[in-house]
Amino acid sequence: MVYPAIVLVRTSLARYSITGRHQGWVGLGNYARLLGQEALPTVVSNTIVWVLTIVAVTLVLSLGLAQLLNARFPGRNVVRWTLIVPWAASLIVTSKLFVWIYDYYFGILNGALVGLGVLGGPVDWLGNDRTVMSAMIAVGVFVSLPFTTYVLLAGLATIPNDVHEAARVDGASPWRAYRSVTLPLLKPALLVATALNVIYVFNSFPIVWTLNDRNPGFAHDTMITYMYKIAFRSGLRDVGLAAAVGVVNVALILVAVAAYLRTVNWRDAEA
Amino acid sequence: MAEPHVARRRALTVAGVLLSVSVLAPYLVMLLTALKPDAELRITPPRLFPVSWRVTNFLDVVSDPEFRAWLRSSLVVASASTAIVLLAATPAAYYTARHRFPGRAAFLFLVLVTQMFAPTTLVVGLYREFFELSLVNTYTALILTNAAFNLAFAIWILRAFFASIPRELEEAAAVDGCGRVRTLCSIVLPLARPALVTATIFAFIAAWNEYIVALTLMTDPDKRPLTVGITTYVTAYVQHWNHLFAASVIAIVPVVLLFALIERHLVTGLTAGGVK
Amino acid sequence: MRTPLTLLLVFVMAFTSGACGRGGSAITVVIAEYSKDHTKPFWQGLAEQYTKQTGTKVDLRFIDWNSIDQQVSTMIQANQPPDVLNLNSFSSYAKDRLLYSADEVLSPKTKDDFIEAFARGGRYQGTLYGFPILSSARAFFYNQDLFARAGIAAPPKTWDEFLDAATKIQKLGGGAIGYALPLGPEEAQAEWSIWMWNGGGDWKSGEQWAINSDANVATLSFLSDLANRHKVTQVNPGKTNRTDGAFQLFKDGKVGMVMGFSPFAKELDAEKKVRYGVAAMPTRGSSAVTLGVEDYLMGFKKKDNQDAVKKFLDLYYQPENITKWITAEGFLPVTKSGLTQMSANEKLRPYLDALPNARLAPTTDPAWDKVKLDVQQNIGRAVQPDGKPRQVLDELQKNAVASGGR
Repeated sequence: MVYPAIVLVRTSLARYSITGRHQGWVGLGNYARLLGQEALPTVVSNTIVWVLTIVAVTLVLSLGLAQLLNARFPGRNVVRWTLIVPWAASLIVTSKLFVWIYDYYFGILNGALVGLGVLGGPVDWLGNDRTVMSAMIAVGVFVSLPFTTYVLLAGLATIPNDVHEAARVDGASPWRAYRSVTLPLLKPALLVATALNVIYVFNSFPIVWTLNDRNPGFAHDTMITYMYKIAFRSGLRDVGLAAAVGVVNVALILVAVAAYLRTVNWRDAEA
Repeated sequence: MAEPHVARRRALTVAGVLLSVSVLAPYLVMLLTALKPDAELRITPPRLFPVSWRVTNFLDVVSDPEFRAWLRSSLVVASASTAIVLLAATPAAYYTARHRFPGRAAFLFLVLVTQMFAPTTLVVGLYREFFELSLVNTYTALILTNAAFNLAFAIWILRAFFASIPRELEEAAAVDGCGRVRTLCSIVLPLARPALVTATIFAFIAAWNEYIVALTLMTDPDKRPLTVGITTYVTAYVQHWNHLFAASVIAIVPVVLLFALIERHLVTGLTAGGVK
Repeated sequence: MRTPLTLLLVFVMAFTSGACGRGGSAITVVIAEYSKDHTKPFWQGLAEQYTKQTGTKVDLRFIDWNSIDQQVSTMIQANQPPDVLNLNSFSSYAKDRLLYSADEVLSPKTKDDFIEAFARGGRYQGTLYGFPILSSARAFFYNQDLFARAGIAAPPKTWDEFLDAATKIQKLGGGAIGYALPLGPEEAQAEWSIWMWNGGGDWKSGEQWAINSDANVATLSFLSDLANRHKVTQVNPGKTNRTDGAFQLFKDGKVGMVMGFSPFAKELDAEKKVRYGVAAMPTRGSSAVTLGVEDYLMGFKKKDNQDAVKKFLDLYYQPENITKWITAEGFLPVTKSGLTQMSANEKLRPYLDALPNARLAPTTDPAWDKVKLDVQQNIGRAVQPDGKPRQVLDELQKNAVASGGR
């Protein structure tokens, strides 16, 4: 893994012809050109919306799901198993599945919503500029839930029962007990779940690639699909520039995760 | 006291059922589409259930020699890379757990960094690396790549679990005359089963679902794993959604079964290993 | 990550797996996957025949169209180009001096057998580098049942008749669509070429790019009006791809008219769901123009491979081999001998008749490889409800001029 990373950095410092042929070193020239790309602001803001929304919604939902799956009730194991399914299905398959479900003419989603009278007519979920990002984010949340919930479940399992009992004896309402006792103790699990999710969601390629594949331009791309398109699909066809995007990506996540860990004081949480 | 308790359990069960249904709903669409004949795939208004049920779609897929090749490829790659991860991660994790080490803070960060390099950014370098080793289009290349991507995460999970096993147990074994390796095998590993299971699951699923590296390294149609292979059921020229989904269902089932068998250990493993 | 242990494993497994012997002489041949059923059997048979004749092994790789650009670029970046490559572009490779010319790797007999128009489409600066492997020509497909129901007597010849027919079909209701217009990223440049030429415009005027000419702006505005003013297309034509979008809708019997080609006719015949007719393109000019497309075979210059490449190409261009494959895939010939052999086939008549009037995209200009992608990614924006045809074409023209400069 070290060698490919070196190749990535070296590639970002050179110019390549459309065929992929090395045409000499350009220093930081590719990075300078990247800053001049018209689509860059759109792609960056798409990426921010994509990562923040998915991670935030996933965490909130997963906190609830973990609480539910941590409680005892008949059939709990079966429910836990079903939650595994989106994780066990590969992202590429789930993405294709949602392309099928969202289809304008034949998709079951439009069929159901129109049939129930929720919508007056079908919506082109993946073609309409106003809905495509939300449609992709919904899939992103859906596939992130299992992993996150399991990490939080593990976190809940570390909290001894007597802590809850103590809170109850003190007469705290369930919500207050949750906020003042459970949440702080869940901090390490939340931390891990957030950091890993930020990375996975940022680097997620199949969902945006598959669901956005028939839309022209870069209007709904995130950094990672932007990179692929620069290298192989757009009029730019430039692997040097794409490698520069790849390096910037790693740097961005590194900074984002480091900043996040710093603000939440993860060393304290670790102790 | 009894009444609210029962009501609570009932509410929880209802919530659980709702959760299951909403998680499974898309995959139910998948299953039902897999059971439709070609003529029913594209009708308006769309129907959830097939009019005539086509179980033979599954037989078509299973008897497709290409599908079998993909399945074999996925099984070989996922199993072998998982085995390598466990073989390499266990001693590494044990060593770092029992020796002074810069601390888990730094280590966690290292794990995170290895996860930050998206495979998409590394494919060219990987291709070059394996080309020089004459390993393009071999299972070996995919096995090694998947093992490398998942190794750090496994070490991290295992290390923390090993650290939580009291040293006294091992010292007692040492007094009994057991060697280091025997102690590891007969005392530590059985205790660490939950962590081993967790690491197995993570490594297996990650390898089973890997797409972009396989797409680049495995150009031979017969060596492609399932993730890459089954997408050829729906391409520019052919649109066999029912076969795509039948193949997908077949690909999901073994993983879910594996999960269901050892799910109990998963939470324990994550608890001690990852997040305490 | 690269611990000594993993290194060790690399070597252990490299020697034990043995799956990848590069022993003896071998050539790597990369073929695009045209269809699941025909591509692989044909080339495997050819490779076996080749190995039997020459003793040289063939490392055959089939790559689907979606990832072939990535694969090939990766190989060349890694300094490991294939020996023989099949692709839909060649001039950038010729410009980078990676290719053998026809004189170096084709026998004179093969070279002289190419249909002149296709040979011309494979020349870079006067030398033949991109050897035609197969061709296709677009034709205008219409659904005969929908035409009958809408009371349309004959396929439209002019754009006014076309709009009239589309409107009548759309008015049938029940999900009927007048014309399926695919301007999404997959193959937008093909659809656009046909409309552009029949609207009196072209990609270039002389040697200069002329993408934003007034004729082209008028044509693109006409297409935008089809979608947004007359509403006689499927939903979001700027975001619909050809094969999984427009073609599928036509196969479902929902669409009155679409631009197709011979493999599409083959699919329709196999499914027998839609009664269709094939006609010439509606045009604004005096005679209908269609798009011809040729794909290429290329030989890559590598140490000591010239003879092996030459023998392989010669084997493919044996009349019985090339015609067998082109027929199996449902495409059109690129050689004079093939044309003679295939003209007996009545099914192919409309396309073979269209071939003389077919125009090719400017594939001989290396800038085209980027212009094509730029058009694919952007022209769809012009037919969105708030699309601006002139602005989109101005941008494409600006980028085309810039790529020509490099």
